[in-house]
Amino acid sequence: MNTPDVQGVADQAQVVGRYKVIPLIQEGAGESFNTAVAESDVQESLGLPGTLVDDWHDKAIARLGQLLKERRGLRVFMDTCTKCGACTDKCHYFLGTHDPNNMPVARQDLIRSVYRRYFTWAGRWFPWLVGARKLDKNLLQQWYTYFHQCSECRRCTVFCPKGIDTSEVTMAGREVLASVGLGQQYSQEIITKVKSVGNNLGMKPRALADVLENLEEDILDETGIPVRLPLDEEGADMLVVTPSADFFAEPHVDGLIGYAKVLHQAGIHWTFSSEASEAANFGLFTGQHDHMREIALRIRHAAMGLGVNRIVIGECGHAWRVAYSFLDSLVGPMQFLSKEHPRAEHICEVTHQLLQQGIIQLDPTRNEGVIVTYHDSCNVARGSGMGNVANGQLTIPRELLKASVPGFVEMSKDTVGQTTFCCGGGGGLLTDDLMDIRIKGSLPRAQALQAVVNSDQVTHLVAICAICKTQLSSVLPHHNLVDVRVTSLHHLVGDALVLT
Amino acid sequence: MFDTLLGVSFTLLALWAVLGTLYRIVTWVRTPSPLPIPLTPAPRTRLGVVGRLCLEIFLFRALARANTVTWVASILFHYGLLFILIMHMRFFFAYLPGWLIPFVVWSGWAVAAAVVGLCILLLRRIIVDRVRYISSPSDYLHLVLLLCIVLSGYALKRHWPVNTSTVGEFLRGALSFQWQPLPDGAVLVIHLVFVLLLFFVFPISKLLHGVGIVFTPTLNQRENVSVSVATKKGEHSS
Repeated sequence: MNTPDVQGVADQAQVVGRYKVIPLIQEGAGESFNTAVAESDVQESLGLPGTLVDDWHDKAIARLGQLLKERRGLRVFMDTCTKCGACTDKCHYFLGTHDPNNMPVARQDLIRSVYRRYFTWAGRWFPWLVGARKLDKNLLQQWYTYFHQCSECRRCTVFCPKGIDTSEVTMAGREVLASVGLGQQYSQEIITKVKSVGNNLGMKPRALADVLENLEEDILDETGIPVRLPLDEEGADMLVVTPSADFFAEPHVDGLIGYAKVLHQAGIHWTFSSEASEAANFGLFTGQHDHMREIALRIRHAAMGLGVNRIVIGECGHAWRVAYSFLDSLVGPMQFLSKEHPRAEHICEVTHQLLQQGIIQLDPTRNEGVIVTYHDSCNVARGSGMGNVANGQLTIPRELLKASVPGFVEMSKDTVGQTTFCCGGGGGLLTDDLMDIRIKGSLPRAQALQAVVNSDQVTHLVAICAICKTQLSSVLPHHNLVDVRVTSLHHLVGDALVLT
Repeated sequence: MFDTLLGVSFTLLALWAVLGTLYRIVTWVRTPSPLPIPLTPAPRTRLGVVGRLCLEIFLFRALARANTVTWVASILFHYGLLFILIMHMRFFFAYLPGWLIPFVVWSGWAVAAAVVGLCILLLRRIIVDRVRYISSPSDYLHLVLLLCIVLSGYALKRHWPVNTSTVGEFLRGALSFQWQPLPDGAVLVIHLVFVLLLFFVFPISKLLHGVGIVFTPTLNQRENVSVSVATKKGEHSS
């Protein structure tokens, strides 16, 4: 970890607002940061070739052609880019690495050039004129490298005059790569685990039950109140599906305790499920719609098996995007849910509603001395909504925070809300072998944070995404931000809650 | 003979541009869009989507947020060109209608705007290292072609005026399959050939972006429709 690069980034981080200085491009600056290719048993268990197939060229072109026929977004995005350059300075990985292939348009061009060469008339006959390229080994390697230096956060889309969504291109690229034998070990292995055991960590039901029991004891010791964390309780009204990191990782688990306290105080009969003990859905990251669907189906199946009439998703960014935007399309409408709650809800909107109805009370003085700033997670801010109100995904978490703590400060406007900077670890990049890229990619967020630490003595950085929390906890020290605590929103809510 | 060749080329390439664009639209529309990927916060009503698209199409809102220089240059160029295009409607009338007179009188300013805009875009493409990196020869040539069209047109207006009613007959003839002669003039032919080249590249290049934006799922989809339905049913009323 202590490479000169890391130190370099940490030095830069001292200069607040530097992300606003657009770097000069530095070709190849990011090409050495690669993530491990999936092992053959992992690939094969997902029905994919274990190693790079001999006829990879033809297979890759055929798969790309198929995706172009199946995904309108991809097809339109291939055609409409004018290379205007609006996106070129908007990606945190470009700002962190200076590698031109991390400019969103250049990342898309890795595929667009191939699209033009094989699927357009102009590219077939005049490749030199329109920047069309044959897919060779070198380009395939670039696909692998740079489609794993994109967190699919869609910040570039906000600034694109044509609305081009680079994440769709990245997903297509990863999908094609996996189909010829070059899946990513981290994401593919997690998909095999969630399919076989029920969660990304491979935590068996017995172990999960033990963890929850221990947590119940901890809460009882701390508060003297028997707050329950039920598992697989048939007849419960509400199924809570949360990222499995919430069950044990810091600072996630304090958020989990927060959910339990809120639901206890509201008197809601709820349960976790061991079958759907994971909200995350890495099928989104790898672009494999069939896997995404299969993973999402577990939630439907578990909910029907337990007989619940509400589904609630814990603090997880991409899980919420899948639940809010895709669930109907993936698993069909869920008629078994109650008429009052016909879709999956976010834990924040549940808590917010309880607060508005006066069912729970929050007392910010219980979080004395806490000054928070809020990191909008990309998939929440740009990929979903919340609470049936316009901009709810931006306002509801903030309202909950303001009700829970004495001090709330916003980071610079172009780094929050719809234009929020990614934490740098999303989209399947939260793996140790990409640590260098994760540190570099978190540069803009770290600098925006440093600014409010300096100006307003911010003590806590709050996020509602398991990936953001893990990523920010591990990279902020590299930016010399050691005194800021990365915190779950429901940790602070739970501490402020008037519990009886 | 040459006039007829130009006239027939005009007819065929105009058809090519229109049919080629339609073909591309059909390709887009027939491609399924399995998962909703609107960029949120997104409108919840169809009218809201129309509003969002209008902001992007007429004001280049996203570009305004992204880069002021590119936005100014793009606005100058696109609106200059639009003004000039409207001015060209004079050729579809035997007599100049009153409402077109301002467009004819002020077209010099529109040319200036378009040329300035195009030059800034071209310079930016050459000077800014990030934009140079992503540019192919065709990206420069599109700008050069548009500059050539605008400048040759301006030369026609200022220095080598042609009989506009004969040009009108030529154009109306070419579009109604009754080809008419073109007035003499090398500059006019040059201007026309550039335009024909534009017709040719339009449906097979990025110039389709203005049409494509309407079919872009991130912009034309509503936010979670089932939620809107739920809202209408009245729960969560606040």
